Amino acid sequence: MSFPYKTLRRQDATQPEPIIQVSHLTKVYRVPERAPGLGASIRSLFKPQHSDVPAVTDISFTVEPGEIVGLIGPNGAGKTTTLKMLSGLLYPSSGEAQVAGYTPWKRQPDYLRRISMVMGNRSALNWDIPPLDSFRVLSQIYRVPPDQYRQTLDELIATLDMEALLKKPVRNLSLGERMKCELVAGLLYQPDIMFLDEPTLGLDVAMQRRLRTFLKAYNEQHTVTVILTSHYMADVTALCPRVMLIHHGQLIYDGALHALAARLAPFKLVRLQFSTPVENFDDFVAQWPAVEQLPVENGSRTLRVPRADVPLVTARLLESLPVADLSVEDPPIEAVIDQIYAEGTL
Amino acid sequence: MNQRGGWALIKNTWQSWIQHRGFFFLLAFGWMLPLLVYLFIWSAAAGDGTIAGLTQESLAGYYLILILTNQLTYATTNWTVGDNIRYGQISRWLLQPMSPIYHALSQEIAGKVVFMLFSIPITGLLALIIRPQLNLTWGQALIFLPSIALAWALRFFWGYWLALLAFWVTRADSLLALQDSLIFLLGGHLAPIALLPPGLQTLARLLPFRYMSAFPVEVLTGQLGVQETLIGLSIQLGWTVLAIVLYRWVWTRGIRRYEAVGG
Repeated sequence: MSFPYKTLRRQDATQPEPIIQVSHLTKVYRVPERAPGLGASIRSLFKPQHSDVPAVTDISFTVEPGEIVGLIGPNGAGKTTTLKMLSGLLYPSSGEAQVAGYTPWKRQPDYLRRISMVMGNRSALNWDIPPLDSFRVLSQIYRVPPDQYRQTLDELIATLDMEALLKKPVRNLSLGERMKCELVAGLLYQPDIMFLDEPTLGLDVAMQRRLRTFLKAYNEQHTVTVILTSHYMADVTALCPRVMLIHHGQLIYDGALHALAARLAPFKLVRLQFSTPVENFDDFVAQWPAVEQLPVENGSRTLRVPRADVPLVTARLLESLPVADLSVEDPPIEAVIDQIYAEGTL
Repeated sequence: MNQRGGWALIKNTWQSWIQHRGFFFLLAFGWMLPLLVYLFIWSAAAGDGTIAGLTQESLAGYYLILILTNQLTYATTNWTVGDNIRYGQISRWLLQPMSPIYHALSQEIAGKVVFMLFSIPITGLLALIIRPQLNLTWGQALIFLPSIALAWALRFFWGYWLALLAFWVTRADSLLALQDSLIFLLGGHLAPIALLPPGLQTLARLLPFRYMSAFPVEVLTGQLGVQETLIGLSIQLGWTVLAIVLYRWVWTRGIRRYEAVGG
């Protein structure tokens, strides 16, 4: 077992030990395969065909205590497989991982008590009985002392505003209401590490925002370490200063979210509004071959300007034209991510 | 071990099952029917005489106790294990600091309570009508207790390890259906073991299926001598230990293959 990151960090005594250390983690699924049709299905009875599908390939990273990391990537990139290995649900094909000093897939009870995996599309609750009953059972399974259970539950119920849901059977709750209950189920025993797989899946915008606010506040108060996957970039921009981008099972970026945008989109958007109409604007822009004009929206013009040229271009615009309003923005992160998902490389 | 969690789970499962009691009562009624049919067939066959030393009244006693024993030992949860693996449902149990077998065990115990709420009054009523002959002794009752406990454990763990084969093949439930058929044939349902042809009798005494259902009934109804009882208990214990070993073995290997599908 070797963790290059660990040896690097040792030299710096003030730096805490990483709580999650993953090195060369790989998962290959063996998938049965057959052509459609009756003939093929009969043939597969006698000679089943399998193919090896790599889901995660040679991933290495570390996470510090208290960090919130966003795991992003298109569908089927390997995000969920990675979380499933870290939460002990899957044995990896090769590679190592240490989380809070444990090897996840040994599934030691002491490890499982310290982690929580909340899946947006999978329920941890018994659907036949009210959530309050499920919570009580979970508190017993996780051996939460009764006082602590009551206190934690009260706190969670108050912050998530869910008093009214507690006595209805889970199957009668709406998706958003159920998600609140799933979060409570995942937090009752105060885990140190949370794996959130699409926690806002299928929720409306207002509910997404409330969950985000809650998660952020919870992380700050309790210093839990969080790895989160989401297809909503708003989740990631609101919660995760650091992102890991997985594509085709490989980790192709690990770093700050804004740096990803800068690296991918080497330009900024300059938005302009004029106090009086400008006739020769197109000619004016033509002096910079690297600057591109985007379609006019609501009377405001937008220019795509290479990052390095932004100071010069804005200065010239301001001194030569009747500018009423000028703003410089990063391109929307969705557009940036879209570009990587489509191209598959950085 | 996690007794605290296990106990909480039993209470919880019971609460959720009692909500569907109508379904379970019907299920229990369905299991009862074939045994009642054979009760009447063999009673009619015996007429005023005996078959293999059993009178009409003692056959009635045998089948009424078999109805209760069968329901106490029938491991309903094993039928859901395969689906839970195939559809990734056991993921949520694997995440908990408690062995997933607790979930199966809690359902077993909760289920027995619900079934007995139905079966004890019904068999009691039948006993009043049919008037079976039972020569119960304290000694038989005393040996009945460990033998029915072992019968339950054997039937549960044997079905559980078969169900866990779902880690490798997608429809392992067919093996459970096979187990049920063999219990029907060699476990004293179709006929008391004493009525089977000699070859099948020997087979029944060697294979595990008699020890999952008929054996405790034979003990309680006094069909067996001391030596037969002791040999039977030893074979029952042996099969139970083997079933538990097989469960452990299949589980530790299966869990490495688990693909946690969905999501």
